[in-house]
Amino acid sequence: MTEQTMTSRDRVLKLFAKEDIDRPPCFSGMGNVTAEGLKKFGYKFAAVHSDAKMMADSAASSYKLFGFECAVVPFDLCVEAEALGCDINVYSHLEDILYPTIKTKLVNTEDEMDISIPSDLASRGRIPMMKEVIGLLKDDVGSEVAIGAHVLGPFTLAGQVMELNTLLKLSFKKPDKIGKLLDMLADALIVIAKEYEDAGADYITVREMGATSDVLSPRVFKNLILPYLKKIFAALSKNSVIHICGKTNDIAGFMVESGADAISVDQKNDVVETRKKIGNDALLFGNYDPYNVLVSGTTDQVRETMKGCMDSGVNAVWPGCDIWPTVPPENFHAMMDEVKKYRR
Amino acid sequence: MATEEKKQEILEKLKNAVIQYDEDASKEAAEEALKEGLEANDAIFNGLVSGMEEVGRLFEAQEYFVPELLMCADALYVGLDILKPHVSQLDLGVKGSVVIGTVEGDVHDIGKNIVKMMFDVAGFEVYDLGKDVPLDKFIEEQIKTDSDLVCLSAMMTTTMVGMKKVIDDLKAKNPDIKIMIGGAPVSQDIAEKWGADGYSADANNALKDAINMISSLKKMKDEAEQNKA
Ligand code: B12
Repeated sequence: MTEQTMTSRDRVLKLFAKEDIDRPPCFSGMGNVTAEGLKKFGYKFAAVHSDAKMMADSAASSYKLFGFECAVVPFDLCVEAEALGCDINVYSHLEDILYPTIKTKLVNTEDEMDISIPSDLASRGRIPMMKEVIGLLKDDVGSEVAIGAHVLGPFTLAGQVMELNTLLKLSFKKPDKIGKLLDMLADALIVIAKEYEDAGADYITVREMGATSDVLSPRVFKNLILPYLKKIFAALSKNSVIHICGKTNDIAGFMVESGADAISVDQKNDVVETRKKIGNDALLFGNYDPYNVLVSGTTDQVRETMKGCMDSGVNAVWPGCDIWPTVPPENFHAMMDEVKKYRR
Repeated sequence: MATEEKKQEILEKLKNAVIQYDEDASKEAAEEALKEGLEANDAIFNGLVSGMEEVGRLFEAQEYFVPELLMCADALYVGLDILKPHVSQLDLGVKGSVVIGTVEGDVHDIGKNIVKMMFDVAGFEVYDLGKDVPLDKFIEEQIKTDSDLVCLSAMMTTTMVGMKKVIDDLKAKNPDIKIMIGGAPVSQDIAEKWGADGYSADANNALKDAINMISSLKKMKDEAEQNKA
């Protein structure tokens, strides 16, 4: 098929199905709203997190403005923790683009760890709104691009609901106790991810960056984190991606083992090495630096980097993290153009 | 007075307690050090701190990760709490106080906590404002505590720009104040451009730079006083 006859949606879905495609798609499983997109609608970044229409409009704008081959929600990492009972801060008093954060943790010390999943989880916080957003995106651009949604991994979610230093130390000292918590959070994440799938998401990205090898040893990753990632991916029914940023070369094999359909790594990963390790059959997405290349690089640097990613064998050109909102339009266009003209 | 051999043995115990993140062993060794009449300074720097230096090396070599580092720090603090009341004056050549925090909009504080720990270890008075700190709070706290040094951490390119505001405001209020910035997106270049006095890619160097900055600040102050006299 040629560029004209294959829609971005076909390309992405065929990629997941491991069918032949003309070129690697250029998309993401993480947030990719741009300042340009917000400007088009006159939306403030702080406002788009809690309004279904505004979030859907913003999420579709990178496709409409630049031809980015997906629409992905949400833009922040607080949805799950909020549904579990945390308060969040969206910084509506500030004009700058700041990402929402958790204000108060549910668990501060070891003896506060007895938390449970609310039985009405799926109707708490912004989960109902997220389903509405996915529906709106389906109607708006769903026949042209794949719709993605992301949830956190269990360990990263634990870091949102629990005092991080306590979590990190207990992961080492009392892995059984943390294992129990991760198991429960994995169940919560399955509930949420399934809601997203039912609402029409074509692929789910599980972001487990808290367990990067910059923070946690590969050994702890394998023993403590991997079992619960496996549990999640076994329960999902559509396409899935595991994303971890930072150092990942030593855990790339475990990421494949998790059962996700594809693994996503950032610029710190040597993807040539990773490819050798995981073989040609596994889907590997990555791995350009969304800030130092896409935002602050020149168009030539952008082109070179995208070509480099494809030459080194990624199956999709995909950022190392959220696309940073202040990306200059010419850089976004250069990225799309470079990927579109690429032929292996 | 302990024999040289006994002394070395206790220092070794302190060091290993930190490396092996053993809080009980750290407590025991610190108590033994006092009982055997070791200088508290000696026990801290040649025992606990030298253990922490080794931990830093293991972290660089990726044998230790953040959880290990935090546990080693706990073991170090146990010993430090026992020894500190017996310290006459810390042997840094300077006595400093520092305000530290991660700037507003940014909750990444793993790196900041490591830097903070190094200052604690070195005997600095540390005022930790935590993470997601409103920019004005840094200025308020510096004035309130009359600290020599302000350390700002940011892990995101959007929140990093907040550091420039803090630098400008602090320097306008007090040109002598020393400011150090760090975090993954920050670079030496940016630090210079924004008028920070120091930048460091890791916690160990941050401490060395801070000590140098503060001693030069103290020297400047002393000279100014002498000229007045
Ligand atoms: C863990 C993590 C998180 C955790 C943070 C938990 C916590 N309490 O810290 C969670 C999950 C909450 C998180 C959230 C987000 N994150 Co995050 N996160 C990371 C991650 C994986 C690791 C950071 C880390 O702790 N490293 C380990 C420590 C030891 O290193 P360090 O921080 O660099 O510190 C060292 C030095 O820098 C230095 N240093 C640090 N501070 C200072 C200060 C001074 C004065 C000095 C001298 C030195 C110094 O010394 C330290 C010790 O050696 C990084 C990616 C990566 N691998 O780096 C992304 C990363 C920082 N996150 C990123 C993003 C985008 C986000 C989110 C915006 C995502 C979203 N859509 O919401 C949110 C931000 C929310 C907010 N408003 O703050 C991006 C930032 C991109 C950019 N260039 O701006 C990164 C780089 C990922 C990527 N590949 O792009 N994240």
